[in-house]
Amino acid sequence: MVNKLLSLNEATRTVNSGSNKVTLLDNINLQVNEGEFISLMGPSGSGKSTLLNCIGMLDSFTGGGYTFLGEPVHSMKEKNRSKLYKEYIGFVFQAYHLIDELTVWENIETPLLYKSVKSSERKGLVADMLDRFNIVGKKDLFPMQLSGGQQQLVGIARALIGKPKLILADEPTGNLNSKQSTEIMELFSDLNKEGVTIIQATHSEKNASYGSRIVNLLDGKIVEE
Amino acid sequence: MIKSFIKIAWRNIEASPLFSSINVLGLTLSLAIATLLFLFIHHENSFNQSLSNKDNIYRVLTEAKDYNDKIYASAAAMVAPTAIEEIPEVTDAVRFLKHGFGEPAYINTEFSEFIESSLYYADPSLFKIFDLELQQGLVNEALVKPNTAIISKSTAERYFGTDNVLGKTFKIDDEITVEITGVFSDLPTNITLDANVYISFATSFFSKRPTWSNVSLETYFLTAENTKQSMLKAKLGEMLEKNVQEDGRWYSLDVQPLNKVHLYSTHLSNAYSSKKGSIEQVKSLSWLALLILVIACINYMNLTTARSQKRSKEVGVSKTLGASTQNLITRFYAETGLITAISIVLGVLLALVFLPVFNNIAGKNIPNSMLWSLPFISSLLGVWMVSTLLAGSYPAIYLSNLSAKKILNGGKIGSRWSVNLRKSLVVLQFTASTMLIVGVYVIYNQLKFIQEKDLGFDKEQLMAISINGISSDNNVDLLRQKLSTLTTVESVGTAQGFPGKTVSGRMIQNPILDDGGMAVQTNRSDAKAIETMGMRFIAGKNLPLVKSEGDSLIEVVVNKKIVEYLGLTPEEAIGKKIQMLPGDNEYIVGVVDDFNYASLREPIGGYAFHNLATERKEYLIVKLRVTDLGTEINQVESNFKSIVPNVPFDYSFLDNNIEKLYLEEKQTATIGMLFSILAVFVACLGLFGLAAFTAEQRDKEISIRKVLGASVSGIVKLLSVDFIKLVLVALLIAFPLAYFVMNDWLQDFAYRVAISWHPFVFTAFAAIAVSILTVSFQAIKAAIANPVESLKTE
Repeated sequence: MVNKLLSLNEATRTVNSGSNKVTLLDNINLQVNEGEFISLMGPSGSGKSTLLNCIGMLDSFTGGGYTFLGEPVHSMKEKNRSKLYKEYIGFVFQAYHLIDELTVWENIETPLLYKSVKSSERKGLVADMLDRFNIVGKKDLFPMQLSGGQQQLVGIARALIGKPKLILADEPTGNLNSKQSTEIMELFSDLNKEGVTIIQATHSEKNASYGSRIVNLLDGKIVEE
Repeated sequence: MIKSFIKIAWRNIEASPLFSSINVLGLTLSLAIATLLFLFIHHENSFNQSLSNKDNIYRVLTEAKDYNDKIYASAAAMVAPTAIEEIPEVTDAVRFLKHGFGEPAYINTEFSEFIESSLYYADPSLFKIFDLELQQGLVNEALVKPNTAIISKSTAERYFGTDNVLGKTFKIDDEITVEITGVFSDLPTNITLDANVYISFATSFFSKRPTWSNVSLETYFLTAENTKQSMLKAKLGEMLEKNVQEDGRWYSLDVQPLNKVHLYSTHLSNAYSSKKGSIEQVKSLSWLALLILVIACINYMNLTTARSQKRSKEVGVSKTLGASTQNLITRFYAETGLITAISIVLGVLLALVFLPVFNNIAGKNIPNSMLWSLPFISSLLGVWMVSTLLAGSYPAIYLSNLSAKKILNGGKIGSRWSVNLRKSLVVLQFTASTMLIVGVYVIYNQLKFIQEKDLGFDKEQLMAISINGISSDNNVDLLRQKLSTLTTVESVGTAQGFPGKTVSGRMIQNPILDDGGMAVQTNRSDAKAIETMGMRFIAGKNLPLVKSEGDSLIEVVVNKKIVEYLGLTPEEAIGKKIQMLPGDNEYIVGVVDDFNYASLREPIGGYAFHNLATERKEYLIVKLRVTDLGTEINQVESNFKSIVPNVPFDYSFLDNNIEKLYLEEKQTATIGMLFSILAVFVACLGLFGLAAFTAEQRDKEISIRKVLGASVSGIVKLLSVDFIKLVLVALLIAFPLAYFVMNDWLQDFAYRVAISWHPFVFTAFAAIAVSILTVSFQAIKAAIANPVESLKTE
């Protein structure tokens, strides 16, 4: 049986720019089931990142409904919302966004700190993750000492450490060369096979082809699925 | 989690050594200053607090009904014994009489002579009331018999080279010989008592003939628990009424609780202790400490938020990883706490190193050990917490509330509100520091004015040699003659006192007015002394040079103020009979121009020189012809010693004496100036931070402008102008405030400078110059950077 992970019902996001009201997302209807691998496509400014941010609860819709695991996000308090995304969502960014002052090990460990996981348990989890991504040898290096592909690997490892149900990736290969891109996308593919739901925003047809479903956006609207 | 926060904090410190060191330096300097000031304040506040009876000790005050309502910190000899007998609440009392009413004593031991400026006569109840203990000797027997003494350990070593001195004797003023029956440990620095030697009260002539009229004894009561000051005052009033005839009751009595004795006694006369605090000084230094701490905290905020662009990324990432605002606030506080902790440790070490220098400037004797006292450490912890909360507030709250989305999307952070706040902080900082500069400038001007003001007599090269220790009048005459033959000596006279030294207070009556008279200072002197001091005659002549035995006529030379009070012109006054001294035969022979015989804080009052043999003439007044001061003093000393070999040669110069009147101002000014300079320096560090921040914020703008052809100088100007504006605003706020504050301070002086434009122009110039220097460093750095670098990072 397929579980529904999230659903958007006429979700809208507008901002005020001066006296004009600008609609960034316009009546989005989207259902995502667990285990899906969705690629959001569309030109720059079509609303891909905004949609990802809103789904990831970093930003919120200004209208319509958003249900995540059966809970109504749109009518939720900030505190509960934060609890929800802390528990179930991991982010991967185009610019990696690792914390420069922390080592690889510490970067991966950080989400666990915010979840108040015990020290011994954290050690085990981080070690497993390093093992799995073959970066044990790099655990004491700082982000600046790594290549882009390696940094993104750490970024993904960090996103995965909290065992999220959903990974949101905003152009995860945008800063990488094609060889590194392929590696990352294959990694995503593997993760998806293990059951992690993934939503990625991408410009690349090739990357989109790794997904199970493509959603095309234009001017804040879903134009084609 | 805290561990991880501290780890990040530490790596942040390491990652940007320049910023971190500026930050730590600013805080360290300010905290070192604050530590010193707190030590000073703490030391002042701790006075007499260690005494077990501190809540039940009162000092008796004598309030004179005439004499300009003077209040004396001393009382008559009869007060203590009568009070013990008649007022049940007074359980015990101790009387102190300083030798010679405050004049130094001349001590002769078997081998050598000493000048002792802290010698007191005291009742044996001293031990019980003031917790005094003896290292050697028996408390029950000490200070009981006449001609016995107890001395402090260091004094014993000074006199005899050993502290094993029980049974040894010494001579005071070549008159009485006393035996040492006890040795006490040196008195703590924070207790009002300052004696090196206590002689038994039974030795003093007040013990044989106690009176109600002479109020020269500093008297402390030990009272029953919970005795009220007002009740004690009332009972003392009754006691006085019962025991003293109405015409002898020229004063009323009051008491002062011990905890007010140190800080609230500047208005009292006759307080013997050399350790006198002033609540005014404590207050102004407390404000200074607070101001400096605030400047430092503002600095920290500015420097920290200056790097917020960089730090914000970390905040954004942490937030997407699940950090709550609470987490982040804790984090920034942890970081601030770490930096302030480092700064406090360094600051305290710095303070420790500079404590001797500070003691020297402040004229205090604060021991190192005070740093480790529990109350001080707990107040340091308090400072740590408050400065962490204050300095950390802005970064913590501002940065933690940033929206993750906005940061990670590369949006510029820093709302108009926060930019304005930061600007206001800089304005506040500069307002505070420029006020300090103006204030110190004005204080210096006033002190210079005091130094250079024509005091109405010739204070240069005037030497006063104490002849109190010479018991034979013949020797004094001999000495005077011998000195006047020296080529280096212009003239010599003898007098009771001299300007800068309090002489006798009396009243002069104007027969026409029935106003009770005017308070005057009278100085018994000879004609030579008046001439030697360079008094300027405006009418009449000097006192007669010689006065024959049995001549009952009293000649008086008065100043202009007295003549004015009498309603006469100086010429009319000559030959007039007046009523001022005891007896009924005194006439004005001369009038001198007004001169400043006391501090310039006080307006000139009546002053008279006379030749009635009431007071002792305690000083030789000597005018030197200056060529080489060192050899001249030696010459005078060797002549002195040839006549009275056993009397210590104790001299001072009048101009030095006068300077001592302004010691407190001088200390406050020096401390103020030193710390103002540091405060300005710290404020500049803050400005530096803000400049760096702006340069960072406008990184891209600058690069684009350069690509479009802007010159380096154009960009430096662009970046600097904004800051100069801030400094100008600060000056606009600071100047009127400083003017009012300093004008108020100057009101304490009867003779004072007008506040001119000089300090303001100087301060404005200095502040602008220093800030341009600070800002342009950053501006130039930003302007000459390669634009490609900053454009690429976007």
